[in-house]
Amino acid sequence: MFDLITEMFSYAFMRRAFVVTTILSASVAPVGAFLVLRRLSLAGEAMAHAITPGVVIGFVTAGLSVMSLLFGGLIAGLGVAVLTAYLARNTILRSDASLASLYLIALAVGIFILSAAGSAVPLKSFLFGSILGVDDASMILVGGVATVTLVTFALILRPLIMSTCDPVFFESQFKRPWIVDQGFMFLLVLNLLAAFKTLGTLMAVGLMILPATAARYWSGTITAQLGLGFIFSLLSCWLGLTLSYVMPETPSGPAIVLVAGAIFVLSALFGPLGLRGQFNGTKKP
Amino acid sequence: MTPIVTIENLCLGFGRLSLFDGLNCDVKPGSILAVVGANGSGKSTFVKTLLGLQSPIEGRIEWPTGKPAEIGYLAQLTEFDRRFPIRVRDLAAMGAWQGFNPFAGLNKTTRNRVDVALEMAGILDLADHPLHTLSGGQLQRALFSRVIMQDAPLILLDEPFSAVDQYTEQHLLSVIETWQSEGRAVIMVLHDLSAVLDHCTHALLLGNGRASFGTVNDILTPDRLVAQGYMSSSQASWMFRGQANGGAR
Repeated sequence: MFDLITEMFSYAFMRRAFVVTTILSASVAPVGAFLVLRRLSLAGEAMAHAITPGVVIGFVTAGLSVMSLLFGGLIAGLGVAVLTAYLARNTILRSDASLASLYLIALAVGIFILSAAGSAVPLKSFLFGSILGVDDASMILVGGVATVTLVTFALILRPLIMSTCDPVFFESQFKRPWIVDQGFMFLLVLNLLAAFKTLGTLMAVGLMILPATAARYWSGTITAQLGLGFIFSLLSCWLGLTLSYVMPETPSGPAIVLVAGAIFVLSALFGPLGLRGQFNGTKKP
Repeated sequence: MTPIVTIENLCLGFGRLSLFDGLNCDVKPGSILAVVGANGSGKSTFVKTLLGLQSPIEGRIEWPTGKPAEIGYLAQLTEFDRRFPIRVRDLAAMGAWQGFNPFAGLNKTTRNRVDVALEMAGILDLADHPLHTLSGGQLQRALFSRVIMQDAPLILLDEPFSAVDQYTEQHLLSVIETWQSEGRAVIMVLHDLSAVLDHCTHALLLGNGRASFGTVNDILTPDRLVAQGYMSSSQASWMFRGQANGGAR
């Protein structure tokens, strides 16, 4: 075991991957917790698909550079988020149906462009991530996103809690309630992009949702859920990266999400608010 | 006494569909206005319009002494997420949102105010309980404590007694009367006419495209209630039995 760790950390790319996923865990944990609390778990998955055309266009026009992926993904993600809110507010469709329609269009556009661009596109790492892809620029991106995310959360935490717990009351009290809602979607898109290199577009949201849903089984307070979500994310990343190292053909994204999935199953089985609680007659929230 | 809010020729609805029109009324400090009407007559729409969540089709809402910095609001229980992982005291503290500091916890004064609000709502002993363990009545008391924390001159309550037992209703009505004695104006959507008659000073009856405003005894007459579709004539006869020319009792 010690030999494995020593060997693993002798490679610069593995050291980078561990550092980057540790920072990423701190950043995605609060986003994931609120995605679950706001009943947006599936919307997170949809947004992960929605950023695809922006990332692909960025890649096709400027190569696999961090800035092109960041701007392309941000424009696509925020475009879908704003259009979803607009359609939900001004037409008969609710936000889930609006988002589903728009993300499917965005995904189709992304895959169409990706296919048209030919074999030069590293499809597998694009969809599932690669620990080999973590360069200096990626580390700066993840560090920057984590800083923006944590500072923004400190600023909007209480309004975010209010808007999640009682959106009608929140709308009645704040002049511009959309700032908090759209600000949260902005953080979601930013974190999906930050997780893109390591986890890929299809797996990025897994590191947000699974640790957060697992944490929900253990605690009835937001503070504890945020803390546990971070610990579960961290464990998933460290164990997943090790798994991906031991089995070189395995992309890092699915390996990390698989470990997160195992934590979720264990939490559902043994957490006080999971199946065990139900069998013991504990009242579930 | 200067009214808190004055409404002139108000017409509410959705798009071109009008729910009612021609409403003129004013709400003074220390008054309790009951909004009464059949389902779909525009009661909640009226409350949401006062909050600024919806625009009127026509008419004006004036605030003679300036729009209050805060309007107390209790929405219908159906719109609340009971599974949200916070304690009762955290929910009450939301009422003091204007004093929140993003980088600090609640100060001692606010924490004391939360305790007083919970005591007034009769649930201080449940202060540290998570929301999901509360019954419907206890949750409504917790939401009342949040309104108390808002400390607003105008309070809007949308069906505040729809999911509570008689004992809780009586307690919450006593809270509302305390607000009245403090000079706050209360507007509440109610279905229970006996509560309206016993505790409200004014009534706004909505229905059949019309809006009637006045004192409770002037508005809640059998003829009006039937004419505006709130009840059938046989129901009105039963409710107003034994009375001559008076309101329902």
